[in-house]
Amino acid sequence: MKKSLIGLSAVIAMLSLSACGNSGNDASNAANSSSNSSSNTSASSESNANTSSNTTTNNTTSTNASNGDAEPVTISFMHFKSDVTDGIQKIVDQFEAENPNIKVDVQPVKYDDYYTILKTKLAGGDVVDVFTLNAGSQAKLFVDGGYVEDLTGQEFLSSFDTDVLTSQATDGKNYIMPLNAGPIAVFYNKNIFKELNLEVPRTFDAMIEDAKKIKEAGKTPFALGWKDAWTLGMWIGRDLPSNTALVANQPDFFDKLETGGSKFADNPAVKTTLDHAQQIFDLGNKDQLGLGYNDIVDLFAKGDVGMMYMGTWPLADIQKKNPDLYNTGIGYFPYPFSNDETLNKLEFNPDASLAVGSKSQHKEAAMKFLAFMASKEGGDAWVKNTNTLSYVKGATTDIAPALNDLKPYFDNGQLYNSQAYMSKTTIDWTTQLIQSLQKMFFKKDTPDQVVTALDDWVSKNHK
Amino acid sequence: MSNLKRSIRSEMWYVLFILPGLCLFVFAVVVPLVIGAKYSFTNWDGVAPTAKYIGWDNYTQALSDSDLWAALRNTFKYAILVTVLVNLVSLLLAVLLDSYLKFRKVFRTVFFMPVAISTVLAAYIWSYNYSNGLPKLLSYFGVDMTSPLGNPDHAMMALIVISIWQGVGSPMIIYIAGLQGIPGELTESARIDGAGAFGAFRHITLPLLAPSVTINLLLVLTGSLKVFDLVFLTTGGGPAFSTQVISTFIYNVSFNSAKAGYGTALSMLFFLILVIVTIVQLAIFRRREVDL
Repeated sequence: MKKSLIGLSAVIAMLSLSACGNSGNDASNAANSSSNSSSNTSASSESNANTSSNTTTNNTTSTNASNGDAEPVTISFMHFKSDVTDGIQKIVDQFEAENPNIKVDVQPVKYDDYYTILKTKLAGGDVVDVFTLNAGSQAKLFVDGGYVEDLTGQEFLSSFDTDVLTSQATDGKNYIMPLNAGPIAVFYNKNIFKELNLEVPRTFDAMIEDAKKIKEAGKTPFALGWKDAWTLGMWIGRDLPSNTALVANQPDFFDKLETGGSKFADNPAVKTTLDHAQQIFDLGNKDQLGLGYNDIVDLFAKGDVGMMYMGTWPLADIQKKNPDLYNTGIGYFPYPFSNDETLNKLEFNPDASLAVGSKSQHKEAAMKFLAFMASKEGGDAWVKNTNTLSYVKGATTDIAPALNDLKPYFDNGQLYNSQAYMSKTTIDWTTQLIQSLQKMFFKKDTPDQVVTALDDWVSKNHK
Repeated sequence: MSNLKRSIRSEMWYVLFILPGLCLFVFAVVVPLVIGAKYSFTNWDGVAPTAKYIGWDNYTQALSDSDLWAALRNTFKYAILVTVLVNLVSLLLAVLLDSYLKFRKVFRTVFFMPVAISTVLAAYIWSYNYSNGLPKLLSYFGVDMTSPLGNPDHAMMALIVISIWQGVGSPMIIYIAGLQGIPGELTESARIDGAGAFGAFRHITLPLLAPSVTINLLLVLTGSLKVFDLVFLTTGGGPAFSTQVISTFIYNVSFNSAKAGYGTALSMLFFLILVIVTIVQLAIFRRREVDL
């Protein structure tokens, strides 16, 4: 299922690439509008039937009646949560059941291709009514392009904490609605830890010690699917800012990078991260750069792997593949990026947020969709169907047994968000660092060369 | 004059027949090319509705971009190796499958089959083979293997193997057609004159096959210079830039680094390179054909 989806999205990517010319877009627009109008006409005849039936049984359905006067519309909803495609569809089904006049055309896209496809679509003149965005530089790019509707002052935003709203604001305004959040931490196999008498590590060195013992026992210490750029990028994109801001005490390093005021060479945390990367790489599964996310979730689910750095996304998959492990065998601990226990809090990041397209023809329906996602009911549906947490106040947090391990951190407020340190930079340094790191893993570059390469790249590409 | 008119009228039919193809070519190739040329002089980020004109900056930046040169090196390494190997293998197969071999039709079908498979599928089959299938198979013989796609030293070779597997079919068909056009008596008389099997092949078959060689070298080379799908799906240009070819590099620059203006400038340069390569190649091979 997942593989075919990936393939499909790749095909879509290529199609949309080849349709870059104006003529292609015009043709696809024409096709879209014609299919829309045809679906509208068929739907309107349906709604006529609806209203007539409403008049007879008006007293039973109040919500239907209130929506009954609205034109039936179809809104498009593009999201990057393709690993929980079925779950999202269930939430949408629930929305459609409550709003019979609104149909949602869901378009899931694999995260790696998501922004490419979204950019191509929007720049090519296609209209997407609702789409997911990541708060920060990605959201800013689209806001600056004028593709995102301003949501400031909308009633449904009151479902979120003001702190959250402020942290996700772009230039002081709320263009995106916070939706999804989750911890990113280390899954560990409790059976292996028990067997080898290992304790849950609280510092980086302790984690490496545990990993070495796991390796001596003939098992794989870390599952690394670093063929997919995002898995490696997710890790360095957190280890580096955490060490930069909290250990090296340069919280404004990435802000300054944007203006040319700082250099990787002057940041001692870079060396720390490179050292961490090499240690983890050496203790990883074999074929670290040949396996991807799906492969390592398989590996971990089989139960031969000690630890896996990941968000909560694979939980549903693991539950399907190995229910026993899911129920009793998995623990979850905050990733110890340093050797100072007090610094190693739980990484808790915003993930998908929702945006409404500024060129949308059906803004009212789109806002209704957002309002549903912001309601307690929508929040609960989100948590239940995607196995990740919601920012909606009062939404349930019961997603998996493994998450109970993190309860003390939630209760004591020991959370932090390393991504906030990078919110003001648009420089895509992770891609460059990934390349250099891969050279370092195979002893083609020394750590010093990696640092030099990074600074050279930044100065060359961002004058 | 009336003669000319008549010939125009009779030729009009042919023009009518190329019209659909011509329209497709104009709207799918020429128009995007012109628009792209315009964008290559801007600092467009790929999303913003407006872009700023910055003159030749993108082009001067490209010439001093070491990554571009690395990508070009990779592209030509890939393209030349694929062209040589695909042609060698397909010629060998064609000679083999043109002889009186039992089941040769079955074999032709088998070797042609990968052509019919989409590259997306081929990429997944081989990624799986490299990371799961082959290591498992080899483990029975006590050999420990990791996916070559994950190793910067071997990733390029691994890609080339996939392209050979997928690419030999079409050239093979062209070679077989070429071989069947060679009159049997020529080889026969060469044999009578005392030429061995290799001698006959070297002095009779190969020269007469020259047109097929030309077209195959040309098609495979230009095709593999433009490779995108296979690299994008198997390695994405990694690990450590080892398989980053020009087209994936342009894609990454345009979309991941949000520098669409620079990306289109790179595409323009790449377009020029392709034109030059094709002209040079045609010139060389056409001349050789005449000489032979």
